[in-house]
This record gives sequence, structure tokens and C-alpha cells, in this order.
Amino acid sequence: MTSPAHPLPTPIPKWAYAVALVALTVTWLVLQENGIALGHAAETVHEFFHDGRHALGVPCH
Amino acid sequence: MSTNTYKGLLLRGVGAGAVAGLLAGLVGVLVVEAPIRAALAVEQARPDAPDAGHGHGELFSRGTQVVGGVLAAVVVGLAVGALFATAYAGSRRWFTSKAPFVRAVALSAAAFGAAALLPAVKYPANPPAVGDPATVEYRTVLYLGLIAAGLLVAVGASHLASRLGHLGAPVRATAVASAVVAAVVVLLVAFPATPDAVPSDLPGGVLWEFRLASLAETATLWLGLGVVFGLLVDPATRRAKRVSAL
Repeated sequence: MTSPAHPLPTPIPKWAYAVALVALTVTWLVLQENGIALGHAAETVHEFFHDGRHALGVPCH
Repeated sequence: MSTNTYKGLLLRGVGAGAVAGLLAGLVGVLVVEAPIRAALAVEQARPDAPDAGHGHGELFSRGTQVVGGVLAAVVVGLAVGALFATAYAGSRRWFTSKAPFVRAVALSAAAFGAAALLPAVKYPANPPAVGDPATVEYRTVLYLGLIAAGLLVAVGASHLASRLGHLGAPVRATAVASAVVAAVVVLLVAFPATPDAVPSDLPGGVLWEFRLASLAETATLWLGLGVVFGLLVDPATRRAKRVSAL
């Protein structure tokens, strides 16, 4: 019933690093991409997420 | 799915991230949108507005950008939720005496402090109409660097806390808090000032309203994530459900 006093850390499998990489890449694309990965298409992404970028405190133009 | 497997934690993290992202997006629409519009009006009133770096509302209408703003919060919530679950899985040994709910909220408070509050103090969020496009890369490096440094401080603090496990709780908490405050002061002094001045045509009231609203949105995202994730992983939640079902 009660939580154990000394829980073991949950084992983190190898594929968790792939998940973390995908998560960081997605965050980068939404908040920071200004042309490094997407080239000209980055402008479309930037404009679509524009309000979200400002609101989440990310440096913008 | 068990809360003791990485997969079980990951699913809960992504689910909690979706909920927190949606809540943050709603704060964006209801609270942050007003000062954004006020700042856009200032930007558009400038004589060089049509080709001022990037034309607001030329690719997308304002309505679409509002939807994009909510979507940005949800997508970032999903990604951050996955990272949060991984950090939680790895950090369980650091708050051994606490319930899972308390551990989740404490972890989200630390993440909010390092990834949102610390950069907001040194490099506060700016609405449209502020910021020279020529300095955006430099500002981005400073901002991401400060977040990375803040996360290192948080990890260091948890290691210090586990090292000082032999001390009484008040002494240990005081020692860890003092170390964190000292490290944060060093970071705030060591990082260079933001390169761009706020233009004089932007009313100070709009700037403040925007900065506080932006902080409210990031707080909703991080602390909402910690609370929802905590509810999903804490065994007491399931007990409460069983009791209410009786």
C-alpha cells in the first residue's frame, strides 16, 4: 500500500536515447528552426508556430 | 502498464505532456494573445513595416497563427513529457523518502526553474516588435546556454543532496539551497547582457504584460506536467479511485 522507502531507479533501455533524440529534434523544429535543417521551408514553420515561440519565451527574429 | 517500467513511465509522460501542453496553449490564447496583438500593432505602425524582417500575417492569418501557437505548446508538451519521464525514471533515487506525486512535482519545479524561470530572469521573453533579426543567433546561443547551465545546476543540486544524506533534513536543505542560490547568482552575473534594447515605441505596460503572461504559460506547461504526471504515477491516485468506486 505505501510506497517503498528506497525505490530502485527504473532501468532505462537503450531505445530511450532514440526517444530523447526525437523529442529534442521536435522541440528544436517547433521553437528554434530558422533555416539550418529545413532551409527555405523553415520560414513557413516559423510563421505558423510564431505566437507559440514568443509566448514560450524563445528568442525570435 | 506498470509505473516501474520505462515504457509505462514514458506513456504517462507523453500523456501528461499533451494535457499540460493543451492547458499552456489555452493560457496562450486567453492571456498571452492580447499583449502579442498590442505589440504587433506597434510593429505594423512603423514606417518600414511591410518589409521589416519577416511580414507578420503574410504567410498565415492571425487566426491560423493563434491555432499554431496552441499547437506549438501541445507538440512541445508531448516532447517535454517524454524527456520528463526519462528524467523521472533516472532520478527516482534522489527523493527516496517522498511519494511519487511529490517527486514528480519537485522534478517539474526544478525543470521549470532551470528551463523557464532562470532564462526569463536573465533574458526575459520579448513580444513581436522587439529584437534585431541580425542578433537572433547570438541571442539563441545565450538563451540555450543558460538553460543548459541551469539544468546542470539542478542535476548538481540533486547529487549534492544525495551526498549529504547523512545530515539532518533542515541542514541538508539549507546547504543545497545555498549552493543553488550561489550558482544561480554566478550564472546571472557571468552570462552577457541581452544585445538588443527594447525600442522606445513599445509601451512598457505591454512589455510587462507580455513577459508575465509568457511566464504564466511556461509555468502552466512545466508545473501542469509535473502535477498530471504525478497523479498518473502515484499509487495513492489508484487507491482513491478504488475507494470512490465503492
